Amino acid sequence: MSSIYNFKKIAPVPEAGDFLDIVLSKTQRKTPTVVHPGYKITRIRQFYMRKVKYTQETFDEKLHQILTEFPVLDNVHPFYADLMNVLYDKDHYKLALGQLNTAKHLIDSVGKDYVRLLKFGDSLYRCKQLKRAALGRMATVMKRQKDSLSYLEQVRQHLARLPSIDPNTRTLIVCGYPNVGKSSFMNKVTRADVDVQPYAFTTKSLFVGHMDYKYLRWQVIDTPGILDHPLEERNTIEMQSITALAHLRASVLFFIDLSEQCGYTISDQISLFHSIKPLFANKPTLLVMSKTDVCTIDDVRPEERQLVENAVSDGVSLCQLSSYHETGITETRDLACDRLLQQRVEMKLKGSKISGVLNRINVAQPGRRDTVERPVHIPEAVLRRRQQLQQQRDAAGDDEDDETMGRVLERDLEIEGGGAGVYNVDLKKRYLLASDEWKYDVIPEIIDGKNVADFVDPDIEEKLAELEREEEKLAAEGLYDSPDESMDEEERRIRDTARRIRERKQIIAQTSHINDVNRAKLTAKAKASVSTTEDFSEHLQRLGLNPALADETAQRAGRKRGRSESQDPAVKMARSSSMAARAVSVIRDRSVMGLKDERSRVATEKSKSMAMRQRNLMARAGEADRAIQSKKPKHLFTGKRSIGSNDRR
Amino acid sequence: MAVRAQFENNNEIGVFSKLTNSYCLVAIGGSENFYSVFESELGDVIPVVHTSIAGTRIIGRLTAGNKNGLLVPSTTTDQELQHLRNSLPDNVRIQRVEERLSALGNVIACNDHVALVHPEIDRDTEEIIADVLGVEVFRQTVADNVLVGSYCSISNQGGLVHPRTSVQDQDELSSLLQVPLVAGTVNRGSDVIGAGLVVNDWVGFAGMDTTSTELSVVESIFKLQDAQPTTIVGKMRDALIDTHS
Repeated sequence: MSSIYNFKKIAPVPEAGDFLDIVLSKTQRKTPTVVHPGYKITRIRQFYMRKVKYTQETFDEKLHQILTEFPVLDNVHPFYADLMNVLYDKDHYKLALGQLNTAKHLIDSVGKDYVRLLKFGDSLYRCKQLKRAALGRMATVMKRQKDSLSYLEQVRQHLARLPSIDPNTRTLIVCGYPNVGKSSFMNKVTRADVDVQPYAFTTKSLFVGHMDYKYLRWQVIDTPGILDHPLEERNTIEMQSITALAHLRASVLFFIDLSEQCGYTISDQISLFHSIKPLFANKPTLLVMSKTDVCTIDDVRPEERQLVENAVSDGVSLCQLSSYHETGITETRDLACDRLLQQRVEMKLKGSKISGVLNRINVAQPGRRDTVERPVHIPEAVLRRRQQLQQQRDAAGDDEDDETMGRVLERDLEIEGGGAGVYNVDLKKRYLLASDEWKYDVIPEIIDGKNVADFVDPDIEEKLAELEREEEKLAAEGLYDSPDESMDEEERRIRDTARRIRERKQIIAQTSHINDVNRAKLTAKAKASVSTTEDFSEHLQRLGLNPALADETAQRAGRKRGRSESQDPAVKMARSSSMAARAVSVIRDRSVMGLKDERSRVATEKSKSMAMRQRNLMARAGEADRAIQSKKPKHLFTGKRSIGSNDRR
Repeated sequence: MAVRAQFENNNEIGVFSKLTNSYCLVAIGGSENFYSVFESELGDVIPVVHTSIAGTRIIGRLTAGNKNGLLVPSTTTDQELQHLRNSLPDNVRIQRVEERLSALGNVIACNDHVALVHPEIDRDTEEIIADVLGVEVFRQTVADNVLVGSYCSISNQGGLVHPRTSVQDQDELSSLLQVPLVAGTVNRGSDVIGAGLVVNDWVGFAGMDTTSTELSVVESIFKLQDAQPTTIVGKMRDALIDTHS
């Protein structure tokens, strides 16, 4: 379980000068650099606007990153908020971040203003001066943040080095006067290697160590020593202890040194205990007498002993330990842990989340459902080995037993055989066969076109034969005979009715299909009509026209050609003369071709003009209008020519 | 005795191994480290066998077995079957099963006497299970999951089931299996118990991520190393409440 309070990932905060260099060089790298006075003024303006805008955005982004990465004091756990207040001064911290925020806004507005001014720049020179002014003003704003930035960098470095204390987990806090043996105890119960020295204030900040007890991970916090004076007079080092005591729901171990080797009298120590007692409210508290190798409770003067005993009230227990002789350490730790765990469990049992885990602290014991014995199967060898181990342990105290008992493992063979990837494990080595000689026998997979595996059973042929015999017997008994013949009168009638119903249903479906008018239909192919001359003349008569001419023409067209190509010149003459009347070819107006009569022509005209009306009104070019897509087709005007380049100048 | 192990950096060791009271199957991996973890615990007691099933390494999920027998899916090759027959003791029956739900390890959870199976398993398969493994077969779900083999792990001593199994379900399963049961996790909160834990009557193996609390629960419920299931409601109760809620 990792703490959510990880301040190690805050990005470094650059100095004000570096900050400027970073932003300006980024602008230089990421925006275009070439501009000519000959460019169009809009292009020049755009060039400089981009520079100004980009610089402003980069500043904005960098400052925003700082503002979001640093923890907001109001949002972190009160322990961390208070600790940061003690270490870095809340006001200073907030002010620094606030100033950066203001700087960010100032830079934004500078950027905006100058982009607006650049719109009125009328020459490259003026635009450039405006850009210079904009960047200069932004740089000035940033330079003023020098102190805030260097302060925040220091805070960042310190924050990253804070011990990662999880404010919500199981915690023991060790506190007391300086030099009473707090860090020695810490070193004994955890693997944290806290510096222990025989002078006061060796520990100058909070230290955290971890230990395991009762299947759980515990956090032990070693605090700097506290002196007995009013809260206002406490220095930063002491305040860290006070913060931890005030905000962490933990078990408190208050250490007192009865030997007074620490340089403070017992009465001083007890009065400190009383003065910070409000911080222990609702916390399991232990009054721990350390250094019992030097002096125990029995050795001190009666009045001091009385003082100590008076301090022990409800919620406070008394313990003794000696880190030097390593006595009482485990007892003290266990007592502290047990009391805290008990308190936490009581609290959690009242909470709402407990219902989700009740099933996990329940062992379902089976009720007997029958009389069958279901014994456990543990091989003899295992039981023997257990017994052996037990004996060894009894004999040789509690030293490590060699589980493998000198057996060569496959891993050892692998290392000998060249390591993973080189060593090839022998799969056949451990085969359990009647004779060990058979282990490496080569067995063919296929013999005579048959899979050997199919004949793995020596009696397979007999079994198959037996199965077939059984099958024959069943067949003979008529198990597989279909019971068709046994159809009686009733069933026949039902089947007949069912058949008729099916037929009727089919008919209904087909008729409805035919009658369905909405059904999608295939368009029928137009039939080539065969019309005769009679049909045609009849049609003409119906229209009120004289069919005589048409008949004659038809007859002429239908007349068979003479056998000979050569014709009587007289006849030829006569025909050509009849053609002379038509020397000028008929003007065929294609706009009316295909139209049946005048009426349809008028209708077509009308619909055409209607269709074109909108287009004409909007004076749009229609598809019929002449258009030149490209006046200078690129392929005709680019590339080298045989006479040199295509540059005509 | 409960041991932590890892198969090629993977904590789901139940996927790559199958442990019963009379044999242990281990997948063939890139190195022998995983095999040797089993070998060092079991080597002189029961055979520890390298094998693949249908050419894959997920043998724990594809096979189901106990002291009496081993069921392998229809995809198992003849050579693998031959290898298993040669490697396992003669009193262990090996049977290839034609079953649509071919990941037998996921659909069957069994000890030497009782088996829980997927509710939709074939009738023939059910008969084969009863026959080959010598068990009573019950179609069941664990915490409304049909994959009983994935979400629980049982031995003749006890059983660990999916963490969301209700108390009533636990009681029901427990009376079917006739062993004490507890709901819990392995591998730092993983609910696929069958994949994270393999266990028999005297030893258990769990994934490397398993916390000490989880391992203690395993040791208690499976009575490994003189522990008793009652510890879970006794000594460990406070620790469990404090970690879970």
